[in-house]
Amino acid sequence: MVFDIRSHILDSGYVIMNSTSTSDVIGRRVEVNGEHATVRFSGLVPPVAGLWLGVEWDNPERGKHDGSHEGTVYFKCRHPTAGSFIRPHKVNFGVDFLTAIKNRYVLEDEPKEEETEQIVIIGNKPVETIGFDSVIKQQSQLSKLQDVSLRNCAVNGAGDKGEIAKACPNIRSIDLSKNLLSSWEEVIDIADQLKHLEVLNLSENKLTSPSSSPSPTGTFPTLKVLVLNRTGVTWAEVLRCASGWPVLEKLYLESNNIIISERPTDVLQTVKLLDLSSNQLIDENQLFLIAYLPRLEQLILSDIGISSIHFPDAGIGCKTSMFPSLQYLVLNDNQIAQWSFMNELDKLQSLHALSCTRNPLTEGSKDAQTTRQFIIARIGQLRTLNKCAIEPEERRGAELDYRKAFGNEWKKAGGHQDPEKNRPNEEFLAAHPRYQALCLKYGAPEDGELKTQQPFLLKNQLLTLKIKYPNQHDQKVIEKQLPDSMTVQKVKGLLSRLLKVPVSELLLSYESPKMPGKEVELENDLQPLRFYSVENGDCLLVRW
Amino acid sequence: MRECLSIHIGQAGVQIGGACWELYCLEHGIQPDGVVLDGGQDLLAPAKTEPTRASFDSFFCETRAGKYVPRALFMDLEPTVVDGVRAGSYRSLFHSEQLVSGKEDAANNYARGRYSVGPEILDLVLERIRKLAEHCSGLQGFLIFRSFGGGTGSGFTSLLLEQLSVEYSGKTKLDFSVYPAPRISTAVVEPYNSILTTHPTIEHVDCTFLVDNEAIYNICHGKLDLERPSYASINRLISQAASSITASLRFEGILNVDLIEFQTNLVPYPRIHFPVTSFAPILSADSTHHKEPSVSDITAACFEPSHQLVRCDPRLGKYVACCLLYRGDVVPKEVNAAIAATKLRNSIQFVDWCPTGFKVGINDRPPREVPGGDLAEVQRAVCMLSNSTAVAEAWARLGHKFDLMFAKRAFLHWYIREGMEEGEFAEAREDLAVLEKDYEEMGRSL
Repeated sequence: MVFDIRSHILDSGYVIMNSTSTSDVIGRRVEVNGEHATVRFSGLVPPVAGLWLGVEWDNPERGKHDGSHEGTVYFKCRHPTAGSFIRPHKVNFGVDFLTAIKNRYVLEDEPKEEETEQIVIIGNKPVETIGFDSVIKQQSQLSKLQDVSLRNCAVNGAGDKGEIAKACPNIRSIDLSKNLLSSWEEVIDIADQLKHLEVLNLSENKLTSPSSSPSPTGTFPTLKVLVLNRTGVTWAEVLRCASGWPVLEKLYLESNNIIISERPTDVLQTVKLLDLSSNQLIDENQLFLIAYLPRLEQLILSDIGISSIHFPDAGIGCKTSMFPSLQYLVLNDNQIAQWSFMNELDKLQSLHALSCTRNPLTEGSKDAQTTRQFIIARIGQLRTLNKCAIEPEERRGAELDYRKAFGNEWKKAGGHQDPEKNRPNEEFLAAHPRYQALCLKYGAPEDGELKTQQPFLLKNQLLTLKIKYPNQHDQKVIEKQLPDSMTVQKVKGLLSRLLKVPVSELLLSYESPKMPGKEVELENDLQPLRFYSVENGDCLLVRW
Repeated sequence: MRECLSIHIGQAGVQIGGACWELYCLEHGIQPDGVVLDGGQDLLAPAKTEPTRASFDSFFCETRAGKYVPRALFMDLEPTVVDGVRAGSYRSLFHSEQLVSGKEDAANNYARGRYSVGPEILDLVLERIRKLAEHCSGLQGFLIFRSFGGGTGSGFTSLLLEQLSVEYSGKTKLDFSVYPAPRISTAVVEPYNSILTTHPTIEHVDCTFLVDNEAIYNICHGKLDLERPSYASINRLISQAASSITASLRFEGILNVDLIEFQTNLVPYPRIHFPVTSFAPILSADSTHHKEPSVSDITAACFEPSHQLVRCDPRLGKYVACCLLYRGDVVPKEVNAAIAATKLRNSIQFVDWCPTGFKVGINDRPPREVPGGDLAEVQRAVCMLSNSTAVAEAWARLGHKFDLMFAKRAFLHWYIREGMEEGEFAEAREDLAVLEKDYEEMGRSL
């Protein structure tokens, strides 16, 4: 039985099967009322007469069954409701590439008598269009077309050999997303004729891989950008075809359920940007397999469900040899909840921009400002975080705050201002690998900085002071609790009543265990004790 | 022929200008030192679409050395911001005479910009503009970039515009103004400055494209995942809108719209010249290629208030005129279908008496984005300019804030001290009240 598709274009651009089927039709991609499907079966389905096509819909809920009908299995589907039987005339097999271009850009078959443009009316007013005929004329110069979009135009293949090369050889960028291409061979047939092709978008086409034979992968000598989002392509297939992309710079593989199964050894070496978003099956170990792509500068890993990472070849505070050129890393919408993740990112040699929103670590009740600061402090070479540049003042503030925030922990772990005695334990160093470097940069945190703010209660404002009388040897040293806001005058008054000495004869000074040998005079009666930095445990010296 | 001079005034104007010229250079293939990238074009020389060189002319001036210099002037009353351009990555693009700065700024004070500090530098600025105009064979008009709220942007601009009307009468003047954000304010006296500047300039400007920082903050925050949008991000978004509006001036070919045609379409009365700008699609760069919006997607998006660059609700007002400027891979068939769909979906009310409804144009040059920018590069984009009575809402808001302060004569002394009188305030406010009434009148049925 000969299969004959006549390119019979009706006004809706549908192609009808003209003859009875053969197995040629199995595996073809088709479209029915906007829904795409793959033909899995063609033949008779008793007891109903006539030819039926069995299709597996892209949308698993669109169908009625899984390919079996009344007990007989006609074809298999991946989902129980992904299959349907459809009459052949209801199915659109698509058009070839050139026909699609002509449909979109040139009204070739339209009768020429209508000079006036179609007027659309909105709200009683006609919509005036400017220059639409010139647009049409311009775009109709197929040979001049450079950037072409044929998204959702039911393209099923290249058409006759060599026609594309004759008609529009200068195409540099083409969007063939959401069409009816069913195999890599078809893509190669089209692309082989476009010698200047730089950008190719094949998203949302379900392409079957070339069989195991290595040759028919085709070469795309100028291709720089390849978009394969939502195509169901596997990593192995990508690598197999990648030998045909010698200068590829950007590769988009979003939402393909990819599992990175092998290391790309001779291929993908020129890739600068790799988008692996929404591939939930990727885990951190798989990432090691792409860690040695020499030119990889931008890696997009949004929404892959990653929660941890560890570079085994680098110890605390060292740089890893993995991802040597990586400058910009996108980790939005993941499951990162540990600060250790950020510590690991500091090991990347070239990282200077990070986007990391909508992770458990950054969401929740935590103060967003503090989280941002801690990320900045933990990753030393970061220059942009969440698309917001990190100014030098911001970095300085963030690092100082981080150093202060963990100062007490550092001390408890064995840290000390004296470099001789400074030996924080391994656990602390693992949790805060940059801490020592920050101490070197800004100095170790002072104890004064580390004092936690006491709540503003009166009892917290009281200073416990010893009172000594250096000139009277018989008087006992007493202890008194005084508020630090108490003025020197009032202290003298208190002491005067205590010692039965007139106020005017009293001379006050104090000494502190922190400053042995030094005595500070409290000469201004009107100033409070805190003006002179009198602290808890100091000793007032009273003379008269 | 048909050259346009861009004048960037004050901090806002200069910084937006930086973003705009960076984008124009990218679109025309001009490198930061003014030389055109020629490399890849030779390959396709025979098959190229119409040469883009001729179109540079309206915005760039070709020197004898083969460099392209923008037809622009940057000025500010204090040096910091202009120094940023002098030292920035595009410093070799501009001639030093195009970058004018004073020593003492206007301190957010209209009176200083207009009466005390501004006049000292006015002559210098006018002379530089004259020089730029001399290099034009057929000057079409001016594009002014400035903010309403600042001292230089409000005061000096009003002074300059009056002079330009005298010296270059008959030339169109379009204004890109940053309107004070409703809830994010950088200076308390922004309402004063805004209203004081609107009163004298309204007669000298042919069309004003308003943008407000708050609307753009919300866009950056909501659609572009920027937790803290910087002025750089905001300015890049504004520059995309400015690029769409000026695309037809800079690229020859399909749609030869000159500045006068803008006015004719959008402005029914001389004073009613404040269209609302909307822009679509707005997608984050991290999601490049995750979505490819179609013509119908972007057309529908334009009618959503979240895509507007000014906060107001056109669904509550009536449209006088509407311009849709498409760019990139856009086919007339799809545009017609998209517009027909819009008609079904949105309740777009037009005023009874105005004959023009929608005007639609296509420019086939694709939208570009600065590398490292926040927006994804897409194949097609649209900028919608709609003259709607809803803009009166924005004026009413401003008027209300003005009234609150003026009733108490708060902050007035700063202006009086520089030589202004209370009467000028009252007059300006009166003028705004008349403008609001005009909008109301317009929306009323016959």
